[in-house]
Amino acid sequence: MLDKDRKRHDAQDAGDRLVARHVREDPFAAAFKATRMPMIVTDPNQDDNPIIFCNAAFEKLTGYSSEEVVGRNCRFLQGPETSRSAIARIRQAVEAGSDIALDILNYRKDGASFWNALFLSPVRDDAGKIVYFFASQLDFTNVKSRESDLAAARHRAEEEVAKHTETLEAAIKARTLLVHEVDHRVKNNLLTMASIVKLQARIAKDDVQKRTLMSVLNRVEALSTVQRKLFTLDDVSRFDIADFAREIVTDLVGAVGRDDIRLSLDLHPVYVPAMKATPLSLIVNELVGDAVRRGLSDGGGHIHVVVKRLNGHFLIRVEDTSIPVEVDEESAEVGRILLETSARQVEAKIEKQVDGHRTTVDVTLLVDAAQENAN
Amino acid sequence: MIVEDEMLLAMELESEVEMAGHRVVGMAVSQTQAQEYLRGNRPDFAFVDIHLQDGPTGVDVGRDLAAAGIPFVFVSGNIKRIPDDFAGALGAIEKPYTVNGMKNALAYISAVVEGDFDVEPPASLVLAEDVGSVSLRRHG
Repeated sequence: MLDKDRKRHDAQDAGDRLVARHVREDPFAAAFKATRMPMIVTDPNQDDNPIIFCNAAFEKLTGYSSEEVVGRNCRFLQGPETSRSAIARIRQAVEAGSDIALDILNYRKDGASFWNALFLSPVRDDAGKIVYFFASQLDFTNVKSRESDLAAARHRAEEEVAKHTETLEAAIKARTLLVHEVDHRVKNNLLTMASIVKLQARIAKDDVQKRTLMSVLNRVEALSTVQRKLFTLDDVSRFDIADFAREIVTDLVGAVGRDDIRLSLDLHPVYVPAMKATPLSLIVNELVGDAVRRGLSDGGGHIHVVVKRLNGHFLIRVEDTSIPVEVDEESAEVGRILLETSARQVEAKIEKQVDGHRTTVDVTLLVDAAQENAN
Repeated sequence: MIVEDEMLLAMELESEVEMAGHRVVGMAVSQTQAQEYLRGNRPDFAFVDIHLQDGPTGVDVGRDLAAAGIPFVFVSGNIKRIPDDFAGALGAIEKPYTVNGMKNALAYISAVVEGDFDVEPPASLVLAEDVGSVSLRRHG
């Protein structure tokens, strides 16, 4: 008998003994034979640790019949693309007598490869000596190919995202340019309007006309200041009433150029959404303007401006101590309408108190819940 | 000298400059025009808008002025477009400015051009970092 044949004979004997001993009494052997999971048993005590038994599932998986497989070491399942390091790990586990679970590329009888989730473990006798090795196989080629399909799909998706991001960035850049262009136009237009009014005022010979035009200019300049203050902040949609008030009152008092008008400020940042900026600025402009006009006519006076938060609402207060004077009816009317409509727009309450020389105007508006969170 | 491409704004600025006691000697609407003017003339001071007829070339006009040693300020709605070194400008006046804001800025500029750095700069003028580094030379 040839050496190879003898090996096969010995292996077959060992396998027969294993199965013959157990099949009727041992449900485990029955399970081993019947299970859909490919399994083999090898005998490390024979030369080269050959397979002594395999189940039908293993035959089905590998395409080899039991006769072709028994007596051979299971390395016949390896092929050209099988990982060298995986092979080495199996050998190390067998030598060390330890369990191992790993993924390895194996080959069927027809040469086709498949991904095998291999589980190998020693079976020991009572004395602790290894008598068999048990191995189960699991073909997860589908999962593997699904993994690579997934990876390819993800790669395609990432490319799409990159392309869309590029498009989006280009769109944002274009829109930013447009926003800057619009902002530039608005600022130039406000200045152009002011220039037209100033031109008319310069040319007008009639004093009343001049005064009327200058009062129009005054409101246009309030709006111009709003536009400057709006864009300066990083978050375009916010506006600080206190900062605006400081600038307007300093401007108005400075323009008058009188030492006898003293100014005191109690300002704290109060941020409002941009859409409240115009009406609020017109309110501050009217109140401060009124106070300055009162201070002009007699021996000056003291103007005190407060902007602050007070539980649940904002307060804008303009207080001045000058003798209340007669203002001409028409400009008083314009001022009153501007104040009332602006207050209505932002739902603000305006209360005026005159106590001898002291005039106090309080404007209160509720804090908006949304802007609370934003701030 | 006033470098501004919106005619009405240039005219108004001219009127305000003259009310402050100065004389406007030249107007330009583009960098090309400004360069042409500067070839044969030397103003004591210049106001320069950034957006001109030939594009956002105001900063370049500024550099031309700085190279010629002529002090100037930018007058622009877009202060952010000005480089960190302010291209050699004294500062910038933000548009849309108010009559009072421009008046205060002119008072400060007049003092500085005369060599008096002791004045308080107005809020309406955004100053370049180091005013002392701007070279000021008077005409004539």
